[in-house]
Amino acid sequence: MRRLLRGALAQGARLFGTALAVALAVTLVSGTFILTDTVNAAFHQASADNGGTADVVVRSTSLFATQANSLPEREPVPESLLSRVTSIAGVKAAWTAVQGYAELVDKQGKPIDAKGLPTVGSAVTPDVALAAGRAPTGPGEVAIDAETARKNGLQLGDRIKVLFSGSTQEFTIGGFLQAAGDVVASTKAIFDQVTAQRVLGVEGKVDAIPVQAEPGVSAETLRARINAVLPDQYEAVTTAQVARESAESWTKAVAFLPTALLIFAAVALLVGAFIICNTFSILVAQRARELALLRSLGASPGQLTASVLCEAVAVGLVGSLVGVAAGFGAARGLLALFGRMGFQLPSATAVFLPRTAVIGVAAGVVVTVLAALAPARRATQVSPVGAMSGADGARTHGAGGRLVVGAGAGIAGLATLLTGVLGGGARPTIAVGIGAVGMLVGIALLAPLVAGRAARIVGAPLVRLFGEPAFLGRENAMRSPRRTASTAAALMIGIGLVGVVAILAASVKASASRTVDDSLRADFVLTPTGLGGAVSGVPPAVVDRLRATPAVATVSEIRGGQWGLDGRTQTLLAVDPTTVTAMHEVDAASGAAVRRLDDAGVLVRDTVAERYGWRVGDKVPMTFARTGTRNMVLQGTFSTNAVRTDFVITLGAYKANYAQIFALSVDVALAPGVTPAAGRAEIERALADYPVVKVMDHAQVIAAQGDQVDRLLVPVTALLALSVVIALLGIANTLALSIHERTRELGLLRAIGMARRQLRSMVRSEAAIIACLGASLGIVVAVFFGWALVASMRALGVTELVFPIAQLAGLAGLATVAGMLAGVLPARKAAGLAVLDAISSDR
Amino acid sequence: MTMLMRAPTTDTETRYPYLVSSVPAARAVNAVKLYGNAETSVRALDGVNVDFAPGCFTAIMGPSGSGKSTLLHCLAGLDTLTSGSVAIGETILGTLRERQLTRLRRDRVGFIFQAFNLLPTLTAAENITLPLALAGRKPDPDWYDTVVDVVGLRDRLGHRPAELSGGQQQRVAAARALVSRPEIIFADEPTGNLDSRAGGELLAFMRRAVDAFGQTIVMVTHDPVAAAHADRIVFLADGQVVDEMFDPTAERAIDHMKQLGG
Repeated sequence: MRRLLRGALAQGARLFGTALAVALAVTLVSGTFILTDTVNAAFHQASADNGGTADVVVRSTSLFATQANSLPEREPVPESLLSRVTSIAGVKAAWTAVQGYAELVDKQGKPIDAKGLPTVGSAVTPDVALAAGRAPTGPGEVAIDAETARKNGLQLGDRIKVLFSGSTQEFTIGGFLQAAGDVVASTKAIFDQVTAQRVLGVEGKVDAIPVQAEPGVSAETLRARINAVLPDQYEAVTTAQVARESAESWTKAVAFLPTALLIFAAVALLVGAFIICNTFSILVAQRARELALLRSLGASPGQLTASVLCEAVAVGLVGSLVGVAAGFGAARGLLALFGRMGFQLPSATAVFLPRTAVIGVAAGVVVTVLAALAPARRATQVSPVGAMSGADGARTHGAGGRLVVGAGAGIAGLATLLTGVLGGGARPTIAVGIGAVGMLVGIALLAPLVAGRAARIVGAPLVRLFGEPAFLGRENAMRSPRRTASTAAALMIGIGLVGVVAILAASVKASASRTVDDSLRADFVLTPTGLGGAVSGVPPAVVDRLRATPAVATVSEIRGGQWGLDGRTQTLLAVDPTTVTAMHEVDAASGAAVRRLDDAGVLVRDTVAERYGWRVGDKVPMTFARTGTRNMVLQGTFSTNAVRTDFVITLGAYKANYAQIFALSVDVALAPGVTPAAGRAEIERALADYPVVKVMDHAQVIAAQGDQVDRLLVPVTALLALSVVIALLGIANTLALSIHERTRELGLLRAIGMARRQLRSMVRSEAAIIACLGASLGIVVAVFFGWALVASMRALGVTELVFPIAQLAGLAGLATVAGMLAGVLPARKAAGLAVLDAISSDR
Repeated sequence: MTMLMRAPTTDTETRYPYLVSSVPAARAVNAVKLYGNAETSVRALDGVNVDFAPGCFTAIMGPSGSGKSTLLHCLAGLDTLTSGSVAIGETILGTLRERQLTRLRRDRVGFIFQAFNLLPTLTAAENITLPLALAGRKPDPDWYDTVVDVVGLRDRLGHRPAELSGGQQQRVAAARALVSRPEIIFADEPTGNLDSRAGGELLAFMRRAVDAFGQTIVMVTHDPVAAAHADRIVFLADGQVVDEMFDPTAERAIDHMKQLGG
């Protein structure tokens, strides 16, 4: 056995490319875990810190846990409750907590970018920790977090403008808070109790009452004691519990991230698997003679398989370990990048759990071994005599099984994909995704059938351009269709997915633009600047000011909220039924339904109503965090894609059930005769105090939606690009192995007069042909999958199918050039061979 | 060793007076080739002086390790000398750079190796025209037809090497060497892997190339029967030219080899 392994180890250098492919894929796996763990740890830390020195918190009960990124949907607590709590035995101290929206404005008059995180204003508490200055006293003083002050060059004694939901006011900075701007809040501002209640609009009320326990009294005991005397609508919970809830809600809010990243990691591993399989196939073929010798000397087939698999385990292990380490580095790099972008995590150290290493290594090793399984089995099929005599004995074995599996996977994939396209099943998009994977595997397995002919076609322009060397390169690409096909297939997957994303992005943008063109009748749409969110929306005062502006004829507010249906979080939009249809032109039925809607009712998307079996007149049990479960009457259904959610209620119903006062967006129609330019000028003048609001016309709305699509899809493309890189690595690897195999041929070519330059050109041509083949196949599957995906997303509002032809062609061209570059190193290696050594080599 | 050491040129003068004024097709002067480092060095060539006349079919014979393959490789620009010089026509190879050497091999020299002469991916026809294609030239159609007919490959042109017999493969290699009308063809044990019939066919073809087209050929062989097809045999031993023989027969060649201890 050891002897068998020694032969394997001699190939170490040739397995470098394979190990690198494994390492890159595992980097993504382990990086994902490290990043997720670190972010979660940061949320827990921040949530725990947020509790301050209190042990128990008294607050209103909530029937429905909202997601993070929004202020808690809870009723305030009357200030009078404080004295009752203080009198309970075991309470050392209790105070009031007031929290609300307060956005800070920098010296240039622009709101400090909140990065989509809450900007918190609150009342001073006894346990406040100051970095400098003093706690705020009186109506004109504020303490802000030191981090925000540092970043914006604010000094003690500076004047600072603060935006509240109802007003904008100026304060003197009297102190800096120790707690930095962290993941829970982007900026913090603290006022004295009365000022806070006034500016935050909750006079006489507080959000919660934090309580400190006397020494010897546990938080749990105190919690029980307080709960015993509290009225039903209030509850006491430990700060540990609050921290847990908060951390959980944050974790839930980012839960999609690891899932998405791991999908990309799976793609990278799949692409890597092709390269691994290819490498081992080539190595086994090259070692056919050696393996045959071992067989004839009495090595059992099992021993040969084991020797190849041991090699796979070794490569997988080395690659995975490197990948785990690189993942740690990558995660730290990303965290540093986040920090640079303003999302500073409170604890800077990356969290590395043993589980990360275990999963990373397991994934790498298992994929490597699985990919090497078929080549390892082929090693045993080498017939001693055939291989010894130098014939390529094992070349065509197993082709039948491959075709059957390939055709099976392809057909099953196509069927699954088509059910998705035809809208069957609950989740058509997922059906398309699963079908696409099946088809990719099928195409990859069947590709050798056409690889030879395809290489001839693809290589034709190269031959015309570069002459004989390119011709020879093309012949080389065609001589082993299976090798060429599986190398190209890896690239096909990467390019195909990048192409699908490009098609999806273009289609989503076109659909959004079409929706705006078709249905938006408002002259301007006002939205919060920055990423926006439930917290920093358009303040109600803006709506009032707009109504008072003569140039404005109609103002229509849209708010958004979360609610629960059978324990699952849903979203809804709240509209003004009398004005919204003037701002958004929708189909007649949907429009009529909206106009009939009253405060007791809800509108549901037709497909959703169908799924739940609801009819008009049925009761929909909607659970609101503040007010509990309300049976809203289903007053109608809609089908329009202009509405981005499945449920719509009136603003009246919204105000009755939500504390949230900000609008997601405000639509404005100008008075007759007012030009857009004049209207915009007047609106901007009226809203000079509200730099958090931006005024967008149709073109700007379309551009903003495009930005949103890009923000999501650019990182996705970047992650998929990793798979492309792995595939390019595969091209370099395959060529390096092929060159080793063809040493003698290269020597002959050089002897009879091929220049080094021509030899390099030949190898690069082969690389370019493989790459072009992979890229072309990739674009073909991208077009097909793009069509299928967009078709399956019709119900989600993706109505337009757009093929960004220039982008796709550019992608294919880029991949071909990159493939040619991947051939540069092997080409140089080939050209560096000494002619005489090569001729007399035994290969 | 009873032979007198003689400068081969003298003999050429006497045998082929019409060639005296012309430049030899290839020449080695004091050619020395050392392998390995200073302590363990092996003198593969130890001061070889030899000329190869144009239009002459020369065989190089000698025992294993006599340096005959090294001499061929150095003459063909595949290997470099430690000292001394070799020339093809008037071109001294030692002064050429890698790129010029490559061009010289492509345009002025033809090769026939013992095995692995052909690219497996190319047809016989494509293999034959490969050096011309690398030079970006088209073969002269008449000459190409002549060569193809002489080697008798007309009906095998579309086949790949795997579909040809060993003898046919070597004839393709010979056609390739001939088609670009090189000044000189170097053949390294061209019949070494062939049975006697196939070997005989190949040698007959090479002979015809010399007689009919005036082609210069230098062939390394250890087979006296093969060497007997040549006009002249140059004998090498221990890296030196020890004798030569004109219009050889197989019997005389065998005798000579016996004297050399081969």
